Amino acid sequence: MRSGGLTLRGNFFSHYGRQLGTLSGLLGLVVVLWALTPHFLTVSNLLNVAEQATIIAIVAVGMTFVIITAGIDLSVGSVLAFAGVVMASLLHAGLPLPLALVAGLGTGLLCGVVNGLLITVGRLPPFIATLGMMSVARGSALMFTEGRPISGFAEGFRSLATGDVLGVPVPVIIMLAIYAIAHFVLRRTKLGRYTYAIGGNEEAALLSGINVRIYKTMVYGLAGMLSGLAAILLTARLNSAQPIAGMNYELDAIAATVIGGTSLLGGEGTVVGTLIGALIMAVLRNGLNLLGVSSFIQQIVIGSVIIAAVLIDMGLKRRGK
Amino acid sequence: MRKNLILILSVILSFTFTSCQRGNDQTSGAPKIALVMKTANNPFFIEMQKGAEEEAKKLGVNLVVQAAEREVDVEKQMQIVENLIQTKVAALCVTPSGSREIVPAIEKANRAGIPVLIIDTRVDPKALSESQGKVASFIGSDNYEGGKLAGEFIAKQLGGKGKVAVLEGIPGHETGDSRLRGFRDALKTTPEIEIVASQTANWERDQGFNVFQNILQSHQDVQAVFACSDLMALGAVEAIAAAKKTGIVVVGFDASAEARDAIGRGTMGATIAQSPATMGALAVENAYRLIKGEGIKDEIVVPIKLVTKENVGATNANN
Repeated sequence: MRSGGLTLRGNFFSHYGRQLGTLSGLLGLVVVLWALTPHFLTVSNLLNVAEQATIIAIVAVGMTFVIITAGIDLSVGSVLAFAGVVMASLLHAGLPLPLALVAGLGTGLLCGVVNGLLITVGRLPPFIATLGMMSVARGSALMFTEGRPISGFAEGFRSLATGDVLGVPVPVIIMLAIYAIAHFVLRRTKLGRYTYAIGGNEEAALLSGINVRIYKTMVYGLAGMLSGLAAILLTARLNSAQPIAGMNYELDAIAATVIGGTSLLGGEGTVVGTLIGALIMAVLRNGLNLLGVSSFIQQIVIGSVIIAAVLIDMGLKRRGK
Repeated sequence: MRKNLILILSVILSFTFTSCQRGNDQTSGAPKIALVMKTANNPFFIEMQKGAEEEAKKLGVNLVVQAAEREVDVEKQMQIVENLIQTKVAALCVTPSGSREIVPAIEKANRAGIPVLIIDTRVDPKALSESQGKVASFIGSDNYEGGKLAGEFIAKQLGGKGKVAVLEGIPGHETGDSRLRGFRDALKTTPEIEIVASQTANWERDQGFNVFQNILQSHQDVQAVFACSDLMALGAVEAIAAAKKTGIVVVGFDASAEARDAIGRGTMGATIAQSPATMGALAVENAYRLIKGEGIKDEIVVPIKLVTKENVGATNANN
């Protein structure tokens, strides 16, 4: 697709510049924390931070795709909870691990595809469709479990969160793999190029023969499936699937995406930026904990960083034009 | 622009740094104890923090208090515990946001050789033994007994006969479940009292209002309500006022300042007083003794009592 490729190249420098900006923000943060506390820059703490970033980071990959299409997905946290309890109950029912994992991913995918169909076929604004799904999936999770968490799993399943390869926690490896795949998909495949094209100018994409309905639905399906993956990791981490899990994760995922330079107006953004955004949020929370800062101040700081990042982002964009 | 970002981040961080400097410096070298609460914006936990801080000052302990933004956020609480393990605290006091979900965090502390004291909310014993996690002590109220006191009070107020509603906490929370069990067991002795509705309001005041408003719609003759926390009870009080009803006996749990006022004014019948401040103080005291190598009890019960119109003034003076 020619126009998709052009959009990409046209934005190349602003993409690149903004990622550098975000990256140096992260590095600056690291330097400041290193200066403030001896506990921050240690191997064990850095692995700790990476592990803490994984769940939001994985949800944020789907969010990045959705936001690049100029959409939004408010349902990711609720879908995570629903997928988690479905998978957990199947595990408790004695289903083999791989099947239960597929069911977890499938539940997420299904919710996402429904979102996509509501938006494309039903012509609902993404905000409304996913707001509805947010409530439906949460209610389903609560109804399914009668409000109670499902906990206690076999070691094999738990090793998805507790295991490590050469000292690197398994969730971190999974996260990096997902980002590598997502980066490839966004840059090198039809789905990726169409995602940008739809977000850049949906009308033009439609006129140039892209089946916008199918690709948009795929993008929401992808976001749902990644929520399912995050649900698997969260359940393994806590050894429990909670119907109230994942509350406000949509906001954290949107924040990571936006800090990473993806425009809420659609048409531009990168998953590499989102990864850095998710790491900035995790490093901030970790650092503020290490420093013993109260949770009230933490919220002020995190909010300020989101605003600062977007302000700078807009400044860079204006300069780029 | 890049420099700007770094600048802004540094400014924000130095601001937060100065705000936490106070706590760190004056007691450097002293043993560091962490108290991880469910939340820092609920009166119960604010009292607990106060009690812990006073005790820490008395003992010359460096106390770090942390909490997730939201009471039910088990994952955030786990992150806080992980981060505190990185700072090598000498002991961890935790009020679990989830009775089972806290267990992996306890395992991690165990592996790092940091003793864990559980405050206020019990850890699920099955989950703990399955993972071979170790807890140094439990410090908390007897919630079952508290629920029983509430049940007995309502039975007496209604003369052993009538219709009662219950506002539950989040299902699966050990504290709420124990209160509920105590309450139901107390009412078993009075078969003519019927629990006509028992629904969760998720520990929240606005949900207490909404849920009780709905209960009033379907059971107009309800005579008493037991809420597993004062916040939900106060929500019910407002729902009763909105429905222009009178004479419904509202019993809460926690004896918060606002609930005491309500009892004084007569809009609430009773509440169960826990002593979160004492709980916080005992947490720090026992963690300190543990660090010094002294033995501590597996279970430390913090006294509770029924607060009614008769003694609301007296207990106010106590706190």
